[in-house]
Amino acid sequence: MALLKRLIDWIDVRIGAREVVAKELTGYLLPRNINTWYSMGSILLFIFAMQVATGILLLIYYVPDADKAFKSVTFIMNEVPFGWLIRLCHTVGSSLMVLVLFFHMLSVLFMNSYKSPRELNWLTGFILFTMVQGISLTGYLLPWSQLSFWATTVATNSVGAIPAVGQYLVEFLRGGKLVGPPTLGRFFALHVALIPAVIAALVGAHLFFLQRTGVSTPPFGQKETANQWKGDGYHYENHPGGIPFFPVYAFEDVRSIFIYLACFLGVVFFFPNLLFTRDAFIPANPLLTPAHIKPEWYFLANYQTLKLFPSEFLGLAVQGVAMTFLALLPFIDRGPERHPLKRPLFMVCALGGLLLWIGLGVWGHYS
Amino acid sequence: MRCRETVIHVTGRVFALVSPLIVALLTLPAAAAEPPEIVCIQCHGSMPGRIGEPVKLWKGSIHAENGVACNACHGGDPKDAANAMSPARGFLGAPKETAIPAFCGRCHVGVMKDYLASAHGKALGKGGPTCVTCHGNHQVVKATLDLINEKSCSRCHSYERARLIRAAMQETEGMIVAIDTRIAAYKGEGTDTEGLEKGLFAVRNRFHTLFHNVDVEMVKKESAGIQGYLKKIRDQLTALDNSHKKRKLAGAGGITAMLLLALFAHLLRKTYD
Repeated sequence: MALLKRLIDWIDVRIGAREVVAKELTGYLLPRNINTWYSMGSILLFIFAMQVATGILLLIYYVPDADKAFKSVTFIMNEVPFGWLIRLCHTVGSSLMVLVLFFHMLSVLFMNSYKSPRELNWLTGFILFTMVQGISLTGYLLPWSQLSFWATTVATNSVGAIPAVGQYLVEFLRGGKLVGPPTLGRFFALHVALIPAVIAALVGAHLFFLQRTGVSTPPFGQKETANQWKGDGYHYENHPGGIPFFPVYAFEDVRSIFIYLACFLGVVFFFPNLLFTRDAFIPANPLLTPAHIKPEWYFLANYQTLKLFPSEFLGLAVQGVAMTFLALLPFIDRGPERHPLKRPLFMVCALGGLLLWIGLGVWGHYS
Repeated sequence: MRCRETVIHVTGRVFALVSPLIVALLTLPAAAAEPPEIVCIQCHGSMPGRIGEPVKLWKGSIHAENGVACNACHGGDPKDAANAMSPARGFLGAPKETAIPAFCGRCHVGVMKDYLASAHGKALGKGGPTCVTCHGNHQVVKATLDLINEKSCSRCHSYERARLIRAAMQETEGMIVAIDTRIAAYKGEGTDTEGLEKGLFAVRNRFHTLFHNVDVEMVKKESAGIQGYLKKIRDQLTALDNSHKKRKLAGAGGITAMLLLALFAHLLRKTYD
């Protein structure tokens, strides 16, 4: 212990570590009525780190070559010691990352924490959401299975419905007229280099904005629930008399992460094929179209929406409008009230939208 | 206000830049298109009576299941409606009765050899059965022991000897079907079953050579040998079962550990609160 204290002292006299700990950890106070939903961000950081770690391990054996990709994934799953575990952790982790991201966004939405001055927090979070979807979509192609090949074929095909530039975009995404080896190269580069770097930068920006605005107070159990910020100057929302981040809330974060891990391991060990269909284990065959290709669960609502409209462009446009509306929500919803129960119109719209999304997803699954 | 306008302006521009990507990410797999039909099916499929009947029968066949279409047997050009049935494009039409074994034997080489060596093959052209007598001509079903049945065999001779042969092969057939099902289940979960499949394929082929044999003692002896190989494959599958059971046990341990750690973190949080 004496050695540890000497080491800490040695660091402290050089960089003032104790001051940083006092300011950012033990002295970083959070609202007393903070709830478990505030842990979602920490869980997401943990998942992202796990995805990076398992992704690096998979890179040791994965070969991004159309002739070798499927065999390399089969080799990882069957021959590499614990390769099956690493790959399952990566695939299950990607799906659960989207799920936890949904929970995080829904909690922010229903607690109205996106309101000013936190527009940039919401916007960076929303772009992160699209990036996570992007990294999932590009990763989907990499095993070069029937499922990944045909899902990517139809996904990239849909971009062709965009007027004027659609066909150019399709060829740009595929690196040719059809999905083939150049598409795999492009998606691989996007999946392992570009999108992770963008996600890391956006996470940094998101945390920076959180650090500068302070943690929002949950509207529940408060007398005054209206937004107090008038927009007349920079204001950091502090919480005098609040609970310290370390050790109190840090333990809540750790508890949430362990609960997440229990659920995650439950899927990995007991329902490993929950996210796979048989086509996921058949090598890609450009000459044989499978009868039914369904997207991942989080794209099912979009998939069903596309089918509902007579023109693919119309289906895309409607989704584009909905996404743009969501992205710009803090700039559109300017009312000061933050308690959801005091905003019945908002509650009806938000719950209705959520139920519509779930309903379309279920319909898409069974259609 | 200017600051807020600037923020909105900048974020608007950022969104304008990322919106094509968002749209691209939202574009999802719609229903996959079916492969185009060959001209044989396009024409014959819509015809009534015996000209259209083969298409309906073929659709329920093992050939259709494996993508073996009309032109694979009858030749011709499946992409050119005008010349689809031109002999110049390799169209063969329907074979005469005595030519049927050679017609099917272009693909099923080993089976043809077994058939020709059998009592059935030796009676070819003398009232004996050809391939299509038992297997059907367009609704060709997967070769299983079900093909040997009283109704079918009694069309030409007594069922007694066939019954003995079928009984001798029944257990082996059951083992093959059970192993095949287990391999298919593992394959559907991402297990590399290539070696197991190749092993079963070889054993099944050896077993199928007995289908045309009418020597009851020899069938019994061969069946016992084949079962020895099948047991080896079954042992490999049992090893896989055990490995998966161990994984589940380890998973249960991991989940329990995570829940205990969560409880510990919860108690620590309450202690410090």
